[in-house]
Amino acid sequence: MAHFAKISEENIVLSVMVVDNKDTLNADGVEDESVGQQYLETHCNWPAHLWIKTSWSTFENTHINGGTPFRGNYAGVGNTWDSDNQIFWKTKPYPSWVKNNTTATWNSPIGDAPALTAEEIAAQKHYAWNEANQSWDLTNINT
Amino acid sequence: MLKKVLSEQFIIYGDVSMPKGFEINSLELIKSIFESLYHEKDNSFCKDWSKLDSYAREFSKIKYDICLETINTWGNIYIPNEKTGSLINVDYMNLKNSPDFTLLYGINTKDCFVKIHYDDNRCKGRSFDIELKHNMFIIFPSTNIYSIDNNQKDSLNFIQTITYELK
Repeated sequence: MAHFAKISEENIVLSVMVVDNKDTLNADGVEDESVGQQYLETHCNWPAHLWIKTSWSTFENTHINGGTPFRGNYAGVGNTWDSDNQIFWKTKPYPSWVKNNTTATWNSPIGDAPALTAEEIAAQKHYAWNEANQSWDLTNINT
Repeated sequence: MLKKVLSEQFIIYGDVSMPKGFEINSLELIKSIFESLYHEKDNSFCKDWSKLDSYAREFSKIKYDICLETINTWGNIYIPNEKTGSLINVDYMNLKNSPDFTLLYGINTKDCFVKIHYDDNRCKGRSFDIELKHNMFIIFPSTNIYSIDNNQKDSLNFIQTITYELK
């Protein structure tokens, strides 16, 4: 099965459609994205160039079965298609966060949260992003 | 001091903005409405109806996080100067199987106005008037009574209605 994301003209993922592999084969019997796009244009009334193939087994630019990742992340409704970097981006969690094209994730402008110490884990602490202060704040899990 | 919103009434409206070359074909929808009326069937499915339904569901989801499931659809023809009585799409004796939202879509509409009635706490009997232009849609709660005024004098107005359940 092949998965194609239906995107708006503003590159927002509207839905994801599953297509039988046979409907994506070209005349030589090779899987070809453009064949699947044309198939979807015909049957789903949406332009071919606004159907983008996506891989359900790709998450944060890693293939869950050890294969080759494809386009950063499996497309989800509301995600954004970035044709320059060929990545489906999840929703930006905070306005200040920046793209990491290598991992297809959003990173804080000061990097990842510090690692928790054993004492902090035992005390059920975690780091939460503070957008106003642009810092990682150590807080209780339940707060 | 805390505030909790218990209930909210809203409408969503705008043009159906399809990609170039994939616009909704009014004539196909009108044909479909005539066919369904001729065969005395509510549903008037066609390729262009499907474009409208998909657009409403998908853009409601991504813009307002409202997940809609289609319940029913039908088309209506309004003659010049026709004014409907009060309309409502829920059955108060069968709320479980009634829709949450109603969509009205204007097909070649001209001087066509929709009045949506609502209560605002103790201020009862308020209404919101909006012109339903060609290729424009309005989504509002199905519990709201509404009426349609076709004010122009020389041609028919067509309106496609779709009802939705909130998921």
